[in-house]
Amino acid sequence: MVEHVLRLREVGVDYRTPAGAVTAVSDVTLDVPATGLTVLAGPSGSGKSTLLRVLSLVERPTRGGVELRGMGTARLSSGARRKLRRRDIALVFQNPADNLIGHLDVGDNLRAAAQAAGRVVRVDEVLEQLGLPGTATWKVSAMSGGQQQRLSFGCALARQATVVLADEPTSQLDTSSADLVLETLADLARRGVPVVVASHDPRLIALADTRFDLRNGALAA
Amino acid sequence: MQIPWRAAPRAALSSPLTLLVSVVTALLLSFVVAAAVLHSAASGSAAIDYQQRQLCQESLHPSLESTVGVPHEYVADGVKAVTEAMAGHPTLIGMYTREKRTDFGGKQTLAKFGYRAGAMDHLKVLEGGGKDGLWVPQSIAVTTDLRLGERGLGGRLPPVTAIYADVIDPLPGWWCSERHFVVPNVLDRDELATAVVWMPSAESFYALPPEVTGPTDITVRFPADVPRTVDEAAALLTGGTARIAPIKDSFNRTISLLDLPVENARQTAVNVRSAVLPLTLISLLIGLAGVATVTVQWAQRRQAELRLLWVRGSGPVALGGRGVLELGLPLVVGGAAGLGAARLLLPVYAPSVVLPPGTVSTAALAVVVVVASSIVVTFATGALRTHRMFQVAGRGNRLRKVLTALPWELATAALAVWAWDRVQDSGLATTTTVGGLPRIDAAALAFPLLVVLTVALLTARLAKWALAASHRARLWSKPAAQLAIRRLAAGAGPVTGVLLVGVLAVGTIAVGSAIAGSQKTALEVKSGMYTGSDSYARISSEVTELPEALRGDSTIVGLVEQYDRTALVVDPKTFLEGAFPFEIDPALLHEPLRVGDVPRREVQLPGLPPIKPDKWVPSFPKLGTAGWVVPLDVIEDRDDIGSWYVWSRKPLAEMTSALAAAGVKFSRTVGVKEKAVQGLPFLTIQWTFGFVTALGAVLAVVASIALLLAVEVRRRQNALSGAFSARMGLGPAAMLRSHLFELGAVAGAAVVVGLAASAVSSGFTVPKLDPAPRLTPVPEVPNVVPLLVTTVAGSVAVVLVAAWIAVRAVRSAKIGELIRG
Repeated sequence: MVEHVLRLREVGVDYRTPAGAVTAVSDVTLDVPATGLTVLAGPSGSGKSTLLRVLSLVERPTRGGVELRGMGTARLSSGARRKLRRRDIALVFQNPADNLIGHLDVGDNLRAAAQAAGRVVRVDEVLEQLGLPGTATWKVSAMSGGQQQRLSFGCALARQATVVLADEPTSQLDTSSADLVLETLADLARRGVPVVVASHDPRLIALADTRFDLRNGALAA
Repeated sequence: MQIPWRAAPRAALSSPLTLLVSVVTALLLSFVVAAAVLHSAASGSAAIDYQQRQLCQESLHPSLESTVGVPHEYVADGVKAVTEAMAGHPTLIGMYTREKRTDFGGKQTLAKFGYRAGAMDHLKVLEGGGKDGLWVPQSIAVTTDLRLGERGLGGRLPPVTAIYADVIDPLPGWWCSERHFVVPNVLDRDELATAVVWMPSAESFYALPPEVTGPTDITVRFPADVPRTVDEAAALLTGGTARIAPIKDSFNRTISLLDLPVENARQTAVNVRSAVLPLTLISLLIGLAGVATVTVQWAQRRQAELRLLWVRGSGPVALGGRGVLELGLPLVVGGAAGLGAARLLLPVYAPSVVLPPGTVSTAALAVVVVVASSIVVTFATGALRTHRMFQVAGRGNRLRKVLTALPWELATAALAVWAWDRVQDSGLATTTTVGGLPRIDAAALAFPLLVVLTVALLTARLAKWALAASHRARLWSKPAAQLAIRRLAAGAGPVTGVLLVGVLAVGTIAVGSAIAGSQKTALEVKSGMYTGSDSYARISSEVTELPEALRGDSTIVGLVEQYDRTALVVDPKTFLEGAFPFEIDPALLHEPLRVGDVPRREVQLPGLPPIKPDKWVPSFPKLGTAGWVVPLDVIEDRDDIGSWYVWSRKPLAEMTSALAAAGVKFSRTVGVKEKAVQGLPFLTIQWTFGFVTALGAVLAVVASIALLLAVEVRRRQNALSGAFSARMGLGPAAMLRSHLFELGAVAGAAVVVGLAASAVSSGFTVPKLDPAPRLTPVPEVPNVVPLLVTTVAGSVAVVLVAAWIAVRAVRSAKIGELIRG
C-alpha cells in the first residue's frame, strides 16, 4: 500500500505579470499521507491555493514534480491528467456555489459528480451522511451556504475520489455553517479518505492530522 | 450522456438574455443567407417578367408564320394539316388575304379579308354584332358608306353584321402577335393599307370569291400561360420548339421571342448572385463572429460550472459540446425564424415574389449549412475558450494579438484599388450577343462596399487607439464628458465592435440606396431622353395641329436624318409641354441650336435651310449629345422633312385614341419610353444594390441591438459608477447628458463616417456604373437628404433608448447590488 497519496518534489510555480515573473511557490517538497486530514496553513498570499491547484493536477508547476499514488505526472499529457482528475481527485472550491451546478437539483448534483468519475451514487444515503436528508429534490439555491458546502463535500464523496482537496472551505461561511463543514471534513477523514485542505482557519488547522505551514511560497521551517 | 450535458438545453432557459441574443443572431445570419438565395432567384423571375412586358405575350410560345403568300386554294388543306399535327394542343390560326380592290355595293375600296377563331370576341363593336356575317372595320365602312346587312361583290360575300373600331396601337394582348396583319401601316403603304374584314368562319374564308383572294398569309400561334420564372420560360421555349418542329418546314418564319430573354434572365440571376456574394460573405463572417461572441459571453457566464466540469475531468471538446447543447437549439430556432422571415419579407427586399420551384429548399439548405456552421463555431469557440481559461490559463492569447495587429484595412484597401481598376476598365463588361445583357463585373460592383469596409476597419482601429490614449484627456471641468470618455475607454472592445458594424451598416445602406436610386433614375431619364417623350407616334406631314385632347402635354416634332447626322424640328410653343422634362432656357428654342459635340460650322440637311447655330446646348431629347435643333418657323415645306411625330407625356393608348378620334392617321412607328431602352442592366444593378441596402438594414439592426445589449450587460457597472457619481454631486440631468454623450459619440461617429464613406465611394462609382453610356445623361447620385434624415432619426432613437436603459440602471439599482459591486 502506498503511504503517501500525493508527493511534491521541489515544486515551483512562477507567474508572468506585467511587472515581470513572480514566484508564487518555490521549491516545495512535501508528502501528503494516504489517510487523515492534511492542512496547508498560512496567511493570504503564502501560496496555499497555488499549491492546492498543483496538487489537484489543475495547474502544472513551472518546476519540480508531482506524484499521485506513486505515479509521476510531469510528463503526462493534458488528457492523461484529466483522466486522473476524473477518477482520483475531488476538488472543493472556496465559494460553495462554485462547487455545484445551479440549474440542477441537489440529487442531480450528486449524480452528476458521481457520473463524472464513472461511479454510481446512492443519493439518499449520501445526503443522510451529510445531515441533509430529504433535500434531493431541492434547488441548490434553496440551501444555505453551509449546506451547499457540505453538499460540495458530498459530491466529493459521491465521486469516491482517491483524495479530496479543498481550498478555504470555511472562509465564506458563518461560524455555525463552518462548524457543519468541519464536522463533514472530520467525518471524511475518519472514513479513511485522505483530505487536503488549504486554510488559515485556526479551528480547521486544529483538526489537522498533518500540517504544512507556508510562508511566502515556501514551507516554513 | 452525463447529467450536465443532458440538462444543458433546459439550462438555456436560466438566461433569457443569452437565449434571445442567440436566437436573434442566428435569425439575422440565416435571414441574410436565405435572402441572398431567394433574392437572386427572384431576380431571374423579375428579369423574365420585365422582358415579357417588353414583348408580345401571345408570341411567347414559339410560333410560325407563312408570309410568302400561300395560294388561297391550298389554305384549307394547310390549316387542316396543322390542326391534325397539333391535335391536343390549343392552336390559334390566323389567315389573311392581301389587299385587293373590292366592290362593296357599288363603291370600291381596298380590303383584305381574314379569319382568326375568336377574333369577333376581341373587337370593339360600333354597330350590329351578329357573328354570322362580315365584320367590317370602321375605316372601310366610312370610306364605302357601308351599312349593316349590305353584301359586297354583288351578293357573293356574306352580309355585313357588324362594324367594329379599327384595331390600333397599343394592341391588346390577344392581337399583339397579329400586329403586322391587322394594323394598317397607313403612312408607309399609304392607300394600300387597310384593316381586316373578318369572315364569320374558316369555311367562309376558304370560300371567298377568287377576285378578292390570291396569296394568303397564315399565322399559327399557341396560347400558353405566361411563364413566371426562368425555368418556366425555358420549359415553354424548349417544349414549344419541339412542338412546332414537325410543321415548321411548311412556314417561312419561326417566331421565338424567348430565346434571348431566357438567356438574359439566367444571366441576370447569375449577375445578381455574384454581385451580392461579397457582401453576403462579409455579413456571414460578421454573423459568425457574433455567434462566437455570444459563445464567449456564455463561457464567461457559465465559468463556474465549466471550471467544475473541467476539474472533474472534462476536456475542452466536451465543454465545447456543452455549449452546443445549450446554445444549439436557440441557433436552430433562430435559423428557422430567419428562413421564415426571409420568405415572408420577400416582397420588401426582392424585385419579384415569384420563386422558381426548389428555391425555398435551396435557401433552406443554405440556412442548414449556416446553422451547422454556427454550431461548429459555437463548439470551436466553447472548446477554445475553455482551453484558454483552464488548460493554458495565464498564457497570453497570441492568436488574438496577431489577429488584432494585422492591418486588415490595408488588405481591403488593396482590394478596393483592384476593384476600382476594374471599374475604370469596364464597370460593366461588353455584351456577347446583340440585344443581350452585358456581363456585370461583380468585382467592379464590390468597389463601393470595399471602400466602406476599409473605412469601417480604419475607423475601428483609430477609435481603439484614441480610446487607449484617452486617459490623457482631462475634462473634469465637464464631468459628464469626462465620465463618458472613461466609460467608452473601459468598454473599448464592444465600442469598437459596435462602431465597426455601425459604419458598415450606415455605409452599405447609403451606398445601396444611392446606387440603386441612381440606376432607377438613369433608366427613366435615359429612356425619356432617347425617345424624346413618354410616348410617340409617327404622323403625316399634313398634320399641323394637335387634337384638342392632346394639347398641353404633347408636341409635334419633325425628324431629319442623313447618315449619322440628325436634326429635330421643334415647335417652340409646345415643345417643352410634350418633350421629356429637361433643363433648357425656353428662349433658346426659338433659334437654331447646336447640340453636344457636333461641329460649329454651317450644316445643310435635307429639307432644312443651311444653318449655323450660335447657341449650344449639351444635350437634347432624342438627339442625345449630337445633332441640331431647328424651330418650326425656319422650315419652308413640311413635306421636305423626313418624318413627323407626335410626342406626348400621355400614355401611348391615350395618345393614339386621341389621334384616332380626331381622324389623324398614324403609322405603326409608335413607341413608349418604357420599351425604348434595354433596362435589364440598370435593373440588375438596382436589384443588386437594393439587396445591399437590405443587408445594410440588417447590419443596422445588429449594431443597434449590440449597442443596447452592451449597455444592458453593463447594467451593474453603470449602476455602481452612477451611484458613485451621484454621491460626488453629479445630477440626474448631467448623468443623462453623460450617457447621451457616450452613446451619441458612437452612433454619431458611425453615421458621419458611414455617410461620408458612402458619399465618396458612390460619388466615384455612380457615374462609372452606366449600362448605357451612349445615352444621356450620365447616372447621378440621387438626393440623399431623405436618407440622411432617416439615418439620423434612427440613430437618435437608438441612442435615446440606450441612454434610457443606462440611466434606468442607475435609478433602479438595489442597495445589495451596489454593496456587492
